Amino acid sequence: MYYLGVDVGSVSTDIVLIDENFKIIDKVYLKTKGRPIKAIQDGFRELKKYKKEEILAAGTTGSGRQIAGYVIGADVVKNEITAHAVAALYIDKDVKTIIEIGGQDSKIITLKDGVVTDFAMNTVCAAGTGSFLDRQAERLEIPIDKFGEYALRSDSPVRIAGRCAVFAESDMIHKQQLGYCEEDIISGLCEALVRNYLNNLAKGKEIKQKVFFQGGVAANAGMKKAFENALGFEVYVPEYYSYMGAVGSAILAKEYYEKGNKTKFLGFNIADLSFNTKTIDCSGCSNRCEVVEMLRENKPIGFFGDRCGKWSEKVKAS
Amino acid sequence: MKVGIPRALLYYKYNPFFETFYSELGCEIIESPETNKVILDYASKYCVDEACLPIKIFHGHVYYLKDKCDMILVPRIMRVNDKEYICPKFCGLPEMIENSIYDLPPITKTPIYANNKEKLLRWANREGGNITKNKIKIKRAFDNALREQEKYTCGVNDEGYKTKVVLAGHPYSVNDSFLNMNVIKKLNNLGIGVITEEFVSKDDINYEVDKLFKRPFWTFTKDTYGSTVYLADNRKVDGIVYVSSFGCGIDSVLIELIKNNVGDFPFLILKVDEHTGEVGFNTRIEAFSDMLLRRKLS
Repeated sequence: MYYLGVDVGSVSTDIVLIDENFKIIDKVYLKTKGRPIKAIQDGFRELKKYKKEEILAAGTTGSGRQIAGYVIGADVVKNEITAHAVAALYIDKDVKTIIEIGGQDSKIITLKDGVVTDFAMNTVCAAGTGSFLDRQAERLEIPIDKFGEYALRSDSPVRIAGRCAVFAESDMIHKQQLGYCEEDIISGLCEALVRNYLNNLAKGKEIKQKVFFQGGVAANAGMKKAFENALGFEVYVPEYYSYMGAVGSAILAKEYYEKGNKTKFLGFNIADLSFNTKTIDCSGCSNRCEVVEMLRENKPIGFFGDRCGKWSEKVKAS
Repeated sequence: MKVGIPRALLYYKYNPFFETFYSELGCEIIESPETNKVILDYASKYCVDEACLPIKIFHGHVYYLKDKCDMILVPRIMRVNDKEYICPKFCGLPEMIENSIYDLPPITKTPIYANNKEKLLRWANREGGNITKNKIKIKRAFDNALREQEKYTCGVNDEGYKTKVVLAGHPYSVNDSFLNMNVIKKLNNLGIGVITEEFVSKDDINYEVDKLFKRPFWTFTKDTYGSTVYLADNRKVDGIVYVSSFGCGIDSVLIELIKNNVGDFPFLILKVDEHTGEVGFNTRIEAFSDMLLRRKLS
């Protein structure tokens, strides 16, 4: 018997199955590419070998958690801060700080006695997140998974402005034009992102050990090293660093089941159903909300985006 | 005569005064509706791009009103308490409006010093004089307007919630539910009650402010700082939720000032700008509520 966790992020969609002992039984990693429903369906196709009855409960998280919740029939729909904290604490009770850098968000989470006591997320700026690194890798024509290796080969990183993604990019281009080598520029970029993270998100927060570094960007060994250089101590990257959100939501699903609740999970066969979304320009009042209607086999299963709740309450009631 | 009153900025605090004043002078009042998407579109189209969201939204409301009335109230509020100021953008508001929106009906430009009655009466005489020459009528309208204002309180103080937060920020950020993405309703739905600075006494605010090495000269800073720190230090609330407009100069100082004084007390900053996608906003609120509730359990 298993618990399912689905993390639909801006860049990747991660799905995990855990058993009663929190062991990861299966996992799928896909690029979201702006199509969350398709990503979930593609993932579920790979998991069809499991029966619906084998899943005791399902949870979703990530910025696409709401849509994912409707699609799979989730029992628990939770924000990614809580999910990441739950997963990290399960792996190591002593973790005090979590650095999580994903596609469009970066976060710092402070824990004390097993509870989140503080957190911060990047504000309106996306500097220092995965999608920025992705873009720079693309521009330099270096595969993103080689980025870390390049950074580690450098011994004199170039100084790059890290406060803003636009500034960082133009600074990088100027340094390239002066002939600095790629290794030093990439290493400098990692340092700039870490500087930005520590000045911006972690400002005024005490970073206590033990520190976990998770999220997609933790794959980049250059970032890990830059954090360690800046902090002066070791930073741990857990084995399933990029699945932590999904693991957390599976654990939350387990908690839900253990409270005696029954699952609403719809099974892996939803991979073959047709899902559509339709935008309705609601003219009920001057707010003119853009309401999204979700359809499964042309039947509405959910609405969101309305401010007053007139649409979203429709489905909950039925 | 039709007087347009934009439902933005300090409308939320001082509307009873202006509305009563103009209706007593025999004017018909045209209020713009609550901020909505149409107004937000006008806002970003007809305002200089560096301005903060609330100032932009004010422009949107003025644009909405411009063909519907004979004059528009653009209150240039300079100060409401002695030795304090309102944000500098208010001092230049009529000029910003005039230079960004064309084909406007006349707008009010007289500076408003509301720190004492005589000074405020000067504003009433000047602006009222454009409507009637009858000084007695103006004085009567002014007195009634002040009376209505004194009766009025804005803000929120929810009862019956086990967990409560102070919703901090400039009055218009807290009271405009479109600007703050319905934050009060969202918190309530998560089982969290809200209290705002209007429900903290002046004495308590002053007590906190007097402990600072220098008294803040911005009214917003003084009120928000004093009330938030008072509520946090005396554990009247479980956390602070601060709604701040992107690019606000006052907030850049104020937020740090509060942080320095409340230590590790739960503090969430919500930056708002022209976004209408609510996912990122909801994530922060939900995570904060989880944190408060789980903290309590442990």
